[in-house]
Amino acid sequence: MKNKIKVFRAMNDMTQEDLAIKLNVTRQTIIAIEKNKYNPSLELAMKIAKTFGQTIEKIFTLD
Amino acid sequence: MEYKIFRKVKILITAFISATVAMAVVYENMILALAGVLIGLLFLFLVKKKTKAVWVDERIKSVGGHAALLTHTILTSVIAFLSLVFIIGGRQTDKLQIEALGIVLSYIVLSSLAIYAMSYKYYLKKYSDEDEE
Repeated sequence: MKNKIKVFRAMNDMTQEDLAIKLNVTRQTIIAIEKNKYNPSLELAMKIAKTFGQTIEKIFTLD
Repeated sequence: MEYKIFRKVKILITAFISATVAMAVVYENMILALAGVLIGLLFLFLVKKKTKAVWVDERIKSVGGHAALLTHTILTSVIAFLSLVFIIGGRQTDKLQIEALGIVLSYIVLSSLAIYAMSYKYYLKKYSDEDEE
């Protein structure tokens, strides 16, 4: 699964730390998701989408 | 307190503990070492409580789950193999202590498997609901 978190983060002028604090996860988790090394749970994916004001499909795509 | 500050404080506490233990070794004073470690750990615990950072999230739990399963598999296999070696070896050499040790180890393996089976069943039940159609 691929994602555009890095793009949306840059668009919203957010650091990994900012996003991690908003989502209540560690910064390492954000790094792992951005590098496609960890697939977030549906709950976390929805939280990420909500944070950026987007739908999940716009952020996460299947390979 | 932020995580970055916590990391600096953690380094300072580690340095304090190391210095105390080093001094205790030089002066051959066990109480000093024990006091230093206890004070350092207590301070670290209090600072960690004050820090507004997430320590455990879903990724950490997932990694922990994988690590626990791997640890259980390796440890159970190794102890089971050792118990077999001890039981057979003990019987062949007529050394009751070694055979007894093998039996104790095999019971430990059985207990470990029983606890794993029980916890597996518990979580299987927790995360599945067959009532809904």
